[in-house]
Amino acid sequence: MTSLLRFPGARLVSHAAFVIIIWFLVMRLNDSVDPLANYYIALVAMYATAMFGMVILVGLSGQVSLGNGALMAVGGYVFAVTSLHWQTVPILGVPWNGWWSMVFAAVGGIVVGLLIGGIAARLRGPYLAGLTLGLAVGVPAIANRFPELLGGESGLMLTVPYPEGGYAPVEEEVFVDSSADTLSGDASTMAVPSADAAVSPDDMLTMDNFPTTDASAAVPSVDASVIDPGATDMSGVDLSGTGDLIDASFIIERWQAGLAITVACIAAFIALNLVRGRQGRVWRAVRDDSVAAAVAGISPAKAKVSAFAVSSLFAALAGAVFAQILSYVGPGAFGLGLSLSLLVGVVLGGRSSLLGAVIGGLLLVWLPEFVLSLSEKGGWGDQITNNAPNLIYGLLVVLVVLLAPGGIVGSVQMLIAKVTRRAPKGV
Amino acid sequence: MTSFIDYLIGGVSNGAVIALMAIALVLIWRATRVVNFAQVGQAMFTTFVALTVQTLTGSWALALVVAMVAGAILGVIVQFLVLRPMRRADTSGAIIATFGVLIALQAAVGMIWGGDAQAYPQPFDNAGVVAFGRIWPISVYDFVVIGVTILLVIALSLLFTRTSIGLAMRASAFNPEVARLSGVRVSRVLTFGWALAGVVGAVAGVLVAPSSTVSPTTFDILLVFAFTAAVIGGLDSLVGAVALGVFAGLVISLVSGLSNSGNAPVVALVLLALSLITKPDGVFGHHKARAV
Amino acid sequence: MLSITDLTVSYGPVEALNGVTISVPRGEVTAVIGANGAGKSTLMRTLAGLVTPAAGQATLDGEIITRKRPEDIVRMGVALVPEGRSTIPELTVEENLRLGGLWRQKSDRRTTQAEVFDLFPVLAERQRMRADTLSGGERQQLAIGRALMSNPKCLLLDEPSLGLAPLIVTQILHLVRRLADETRIAVLLVEQNAVTALRMADTGVVLNLGRIVQTGPAPAIASDEKLRHAYLGY
Repeated sequence: MTSLLRFPGARLVSHAAFVIIIWFLVMRLNDSVDPLANYYIALVAMYATAMFGMVILVGLSGQVSLGNGALMAVGGYVFAVTSLHWQTVPILGVPWNGWWSMVFAAVGGIVVGLLIGGIAARLRGPYLAGLTLGLAVGVPAIANRFPELLGGESGLMLTVPYPEGGYAPVEEEVFVDSSADTLSGDASTMAVPSADAAVSPDDMLTMDNFPTTDASAAVPSVDASVIDPGATDMSGVDLSGTGDLIDASFIIERWQAGLAITVACIAAFIALNLVRGRQGRVWRAVRDDSVAAAVAGISPAKAKVSAFAVSSLFAALAGAVFAQILSYVGPGAFGLGLSLSLLVGVVLGGRSSLLGAVIGGLLLVWLPEFVLSLSEKGGWGDQITNNAPNLIYGLLVVLVVLLAPGGIVGSVQMLIAKVTRRAPKGV
Repeated sequence: MTSFIDYLIGGVSNGAVIALMAIALVLIWRATRVVNFAQVGQAMFTTFVALTVQTLTGSWALALVVAMVAGAILGVIVQFLVLRPMRRADTSGAIIATFGVLIALQAAVGMIWGGDAQAYPQPFDNAGVVAFGRIWPISVYDFVVIGVTILLVIALSLLFTRTSIGLAMRASAFNPEVARLSGVRVSRVLTFGWALAGVVGAVAGVLVAPSSTVSPTTFDILLVFAFTAAVIGGLDSLVGAVALGVFAGLVISLVSGLSNSGNAPVVALVLLALSLITKPDGVFGHHKARAV
Repeated sequence: MLSITDLTVSYGPVEALNGVTISVPRGEVTAVIGANGAGKSTLMRTLAGLVTPAAGQATLDGEIITRKRPEDIVRMGVALVPEGRSTIPELTVEENLRLGGLWRQKSDRRTTQAEVFDLFPVLAERQRMRADTLSGGERQQLAIGRALMSNPKCLLLDEPSLGLAPLIVTQILHLVRRLADETRIAVLLVEQNAVTALRMADTGVVLNLGRIVQTGPAPAIASDEKLRHAYLGY
C-alpha cells in the first residue's frame, strides 16, 4: 500500500477516488429520499462548501472571519446577475447556462477574496474580525445602492432551475412549485419554497438565516410583486434547449441537492489537496508562528492572502448554490446571521478539520429541526422555539472554545488518541 | 449649504451614541486585550430591560438607571463566565467566544421580548428646536443625548486621572505584572472594567433606542460603527474613541441625508477598510493614545 | 528576616531551583550571584509569588509567603523590583510611585512618598513627567522607589544594574546599601555583575544550575579565586 502511494500524484488520485466514492454514495442517498430530505441535504452540502473555506481560513490560517457570509453574497449575486442578464458567454459566444454562472461566481469570489485578503493580511486578530464584521454588514447593503441591477432590499428572484443546468421561463414557476408540493406530499413541505407563503422583504432583513421552524419564511416564496423586471426578459430565451414544457417527474429539490452535493465534492477535492499538501503546512506554519515561518522562507502575507482567496472561492460557490436553493438573492439572505452561522458550524464541528465542516453543516441543519420537534412535543411558544437554536449555538460555541477547542472532530480525535496512545492527526 | 450644515448638526447626537459604544469597546480592549463583540448584545439586553421598566413605571430616568445597573451586572457575568476562563486560550478563541456570547444574548432577547422590532417611547420632545426664526434639525432629546454623553465622558476621565481605581485600571492595562507586584488586585480591577464598559454600553443603548426601534439585531450596525470609530481612534484611546465616534456620526448623517440611509453600512465599511489600509494601528497611535 | 528553606521550582521536567536555602537578615544586603540560567530570576519571581514552587517555603518574620498571590505578598512586606524596565512608561513619575502604595492609607502613602523623594531627589524634580522621559538610571530609581512605596520589610532587587552605565550602577548599589543601613530593610539582590554586588553586600550566595554552591561573607566569596573561575567566569 505504501509503495502504491509513492508515485507522483498518488495523493491526487486517492483524494479523487475518495471524493468520487462519497459523491456517488450521497447522490444515491439523495435519489432515494423525499424532497424535504433533499432540501436538507442541499443545505448541508451548501454549508459544508462554505465551511471548507472557513476551516482553511479560521482553522488552518488562524484568521477569524465573519465575512464569509458577505463573500457568499458575492457569489450569489454574481450568479443571479449573470444568469438573469447574460445570454451568451462573453468572448466565447456560446449560449449561457447555469454552470457558466457558477464559474463567474467562483471567479468573482476569488477576485474579492484577493482584494480583502490583501488588506486582511496586515491585520492582527481583533482588527481582522472587525473588518470582516464590517464586510458582513456592509456588503449586503451594497445591494441597496444599486436597486436596478441588484434588486435593492427586495432582492432578485431567480427563475427556477431546470434539468441540464438551464432555467425555465419565469411564467412556469408556479407550475414547477406546485409539482414540487404534490411530490413532497405532506405538511412537512413547509420548509420547501412555496408559491403562496408571501414574505415581505422587511421580514427577510430581520430574521436570522438559520433554516428554522418557519423555514417557509426563511425560503423566499415566488411572489410576483418582487420578481425583478429583468427576469421576465428571460421568457423568450430558451437557454437549455429543452423547451418550456415542464417534466412532471422533475423534482426541483432533488436537482438542487444534486447540484449542491456536486459543488461540495469539487470543493472538498480542492480543499483536501490543499490542506493535506504543502500549502496546508504553509498555512499551519504561519498560524503557529509567523516569525519562524518567515525565517524558514515562507511569506506570511502570501499565505494569509491565499487562505483568504481559497476560502472566498468556496464561499462564492456556496453562495451561488444558496441562490439556487432559494431561487432568490437578497441582502437579508446573506446578512450577519449567515456569517455567524458559518462561524458556529465550523467551531462546533472542528475548526481545523474538513470533516468538521461537514459535521458543522449537519448540525446547522439538524438542530433547528430537533428543537422544532421538541417544541411540538412540549408546546413551546414561537418566541422560544424560534430563538432556542441560536441560544444553544451561542452557548455551545462558548463551551467548545473553553473546553474543547478542537470541536467535535478534535474531541473525538483526542479520545481516539487517548485510547490508542497515538498523537492526534489533522485531516 | 444649509442642508449640509443641518445634516452635520443632526449627526452630533448619533455620533455621541457611537462614541459611547466605542468607549465601551476601548475600555475592555485596554484592560483585557479583547474586543468585546458581545457588547452590543449586552446593550440590547439592557435596553430591553429599560424598555420593560419604562413601560411599567413610565420613568425614563429610572429605566436608564436600571439599565446601567443591569449593564454592570451583565458585564461582570460575561467576564466571569467567558473571558476569565479564556485566559489560556488563543486570541482566535477569545474572539470566537465573544461572538458566541453575542449570538446567545440576541437569542435570549428574542426569547424574552420577541423578535419583532418595538418602538421605544420618546422621553422628550423630538421636534426640531425653533430658534432664530427657523427650525433646527436638533431636538430637545438630542441635547439630552449629547449632554448625558458629555457628562459620562467627563466622569470617566475624572475616574481615570483622579481616583485610585482609575490609576489601578490604567496600570493593570499597561503592565498587569507590575500592577500585581505593586499590590493591585488586577483581576478585580479587570472585572470592574467590564462592569464599567457594560454601564457605558447600556447608556448608549438606552440613548439610541428612541431614534430607531429595538429588536435583537437592531444594534448590529451600531457595533460596526463603534468598532470603526474605536479602531480608527487606535483602540487604546478614549479620546480617539470619542472624537472618531462623533466623526463617524457626522459622516453617517451626511451620507444618509445626502443619499439614502441604506448606504450607512457601506460607508462604515469603506471608512474601516481605508483606515486599516493606511494606519493599521489607528490615527491616535499607541504612544499618544496611552496618555489618556 | 526573610528565610528561604529548601525551595525547589520546576518548569516541567526542568528543575530551575533545587533545595535553595538562604537567610536574609534585616539591615543586611545579601547578593545572589551566578551565571545566566543559574536560577536567579526564578528565585526572585518565586519569592514575589509570580512562580509557584514545587517544594520548600519562604517566610518573612515567621509568616509563610510562598504559594500566595503577588498582590498579597506585597501587602505582607516583600516587594520585588523585577528585571528590566519595571516602571510603567505611560504613567507619570508620581503615578508610578502612587501605584506602589495604592492599597495603603493615603496618609501613610504620603509619608513614604516624602521619604522616597528624600532618598531619590531626582524623582521629586521629575514627578509630573512621564516615566518614559527618564534616563535608564532614573527609571531604575523610580522602580526601586515604587517598591519602597509599599513600605516593605524585605526588598527583592532583580538585576538592578542591567543595561546601566558602570558609574550609575555603583550609584544605585550605594543607594541600596544606604537603604539597608538606614531603614533596616532586608535586601536580597540578584546580580550578574558579581564584583560590584559583592563589594557592597554583607553576604554572598553563589548559585549554579539551580543549586547553591557556596554561601559566605561577601569579601570571602569575592576573594575565592576557584569559585570565581568555576562559576562567575572572571
